[in-house]
Amino acid sequence: MSDIPPATVIKDGKLDGDAPRERTESRPVYKRKLSNYLLDKKLQLRYVLLVTILSGLISGALGYMIYHQSRMASESLENGLAALTEGDSSWDDVQAHAVADLDSSDRALIYTMVGVGIGLVVILSAYLVIMTHKVAGPLYKVSMYFERMADGRLGNVTPLRHGDMLQDFYGNFREMHESVRTRLQSDLITMESAATALRTKAGGDARLADVLDALDKHVTHRKKQLL
Amino acid sequence: MAASGKGYKRSWKNLLLNKRYQLRFTIFMVAIAAVLMTGLGYFVMKKANEATNVAKTAVEGRACPQIPVLTDNGDDDSGAVQMQLDEPSGSAAPAPAPAAEHHVPSSVDPKDVAKHNAQQDLVVVASQWCDAPASCAPETAQPLLIKAPHCNAYVKQKLADPVAVDALRAATISIVRCDGEGGQTVTVPDALEPPHHAVVQIEESTMTLTPAPPPRVPADYGNRVVAHWTCELEIDGKTDDIERGRKHILLVLIATGIALMLGLALYGIKMTHKVAGPLFKVSLYLAKMRDGRFDKVYNLRKGDQLVDFYEHFKAAHAGVVRLERDDIEQIKAVIAAARQAGAGDHEAVAELEKLLDRKEKSLE
Repeated sequence: MSDIPPATVIKDGKLDGDAPRERTESRPVYKRKLSNYLLDKKLQLRYVLLVTILSGLISGALGYMIYHQSRMASESLENGLAALTEGDSSWDDVQAHAVADLDSSDRALIYTMVGVGIGLVVILSAYLVIMTHKVAGPLYKVSMYFERMADGRLGNVTPLRHGDMLQDFYGNFREMHESVRTRLQSDLITMESAATALRTKAGGDARLADVLDALDKHVTHRKKQLL
Repeated sequence: MAASGKGYKRSWKNLLLNKRYQLRFTIFMVAIAAVLMTGLGYFVMKKANEATNVAKTAVEGRACPQIPVLTDNGDDDSGAVQMQLDEPSGSAAPAPAPAAEHHVPSSVDPKDVAKHNAQQDLVVVASQWCDAPASCAPETAQPLLIKAPHCNAYVKQKLADPVAVDALRAATISIVRCDGEGGQTVTVPDALEPPHHAVVQIEESTMTLTPAPPPRVPADYGNRVVAHWTCELEIDGKTDDIERGRKHILLVLIATGIALMLGLALYGIKMTHKVAGPLFKVSLYLAKMRDGRFDKVYNLRKGDQLVDFYEHFKAAHAGVVRLERDDIEQIKAVIAAARQAGAGDHEAVAELEKLLDRKEKSLE
């Protein structure tokens, strides 16, 4: 492989015949939309679900322990109060009131913990979708370029948005894309100049002329692909 | 790596392929778990402390059966050996007066008796020495100052009177002096020195020690003592159990927290590795493509993520390979036609042959 010539950039990566790009042709600025946050559901939801379920389990288990301890304290107080006022009906109201207060306090604790748990899950999920989007976004973008490459189209590659992750990977991709594109452009120049040189030699050779016409078409088509 | 045909195996060293991405997600996951464990663990311990205190108070507040107190005869609970002081019959000693009350001279207190006697002596001195024509104010153990006409003669006359001299001695007056110019000072012979200590007389008394009767022991005394201490020990045991339960909760929380952190850190790295692995593999192929080599692309390992993304990459790779093959076909056709037309030695054909050679090698 060492005999392969290095790719060379000619005139800022443009062939001589490249038409200057007009501003009106430029791609519209992509903005993050809420609906676009789940670009790779499998990748994103897997991580979101894992962290959310884990947080839910920790919160649930520890929340149950908190409730259990609180309930134990309440029951102990209720039993103590019942033992103190045993056989004295005049304390029944006070005891009932105290028991109701303790039960109400325990129920409030449950509601608070459930509320905090739901809030935590919602906030965590939202944050994780945004966080994973910073990975899924670059992958999505690279996938789109891959699709174009599969169709033989090697146009310009725009940089990632600020805050996206996988910058190194995207840098590798851009470097490859630019290198392949430049090399193909260079090859086109070589083929184009060879076709021009051979056409003068073709003379009355119809086959050579047909082949050179086909080469011209191929070069023209390839130029469009590399725009 | 793939081209070498060696089977790539996951190893722990290779788990961190993309540190920035993997550590960020793993640390986030671990941090969330740590915050939750710490915050909720704090509340758990707060509630556990409350429950522990309530339970301990309830246990410690339980009334244990008391140990009965042993008494001698049921009237006196002191249990001490009684002591009796026998007072002599007829000697009714006055009860000591309260300290705050006015002091009344006592007829038996030596101090009061001595004072009373001294007053009597001074009265006698005054009657003997201070009657007209003389005048004086006698004081115990002080010189007697006399005012009288012809005082020296008066004193000399009185000193010859044994009754008057005895009165001076009784009042411990040892000096008699005439007031006024030329007045003599006479020493009373054998005058008594004032007593320095009060004379105390101790009367006889007796003390009888009467042994107390043996204490009365209830029939169930032993059972009640056992019941008392059984109850006390039960309380101590339950209190220890409750405290142990609180410590157990704390230890379980700490151990669970640490295990969770470590487990999550390992799992996080391994999970993100399933994303970082395919990205790493694609990066290797991208480097080859950048250098103009379009080797065969191998499949991902089982369990890797980003399968769809990898399929896109494979399609892109195939697309570029197709471009190269199209070029190769065109170049080959031109070279063949040029050779047939007798232009095989042309410089342009040589360039095309060089290009063809490079493109063919890039697909090997």
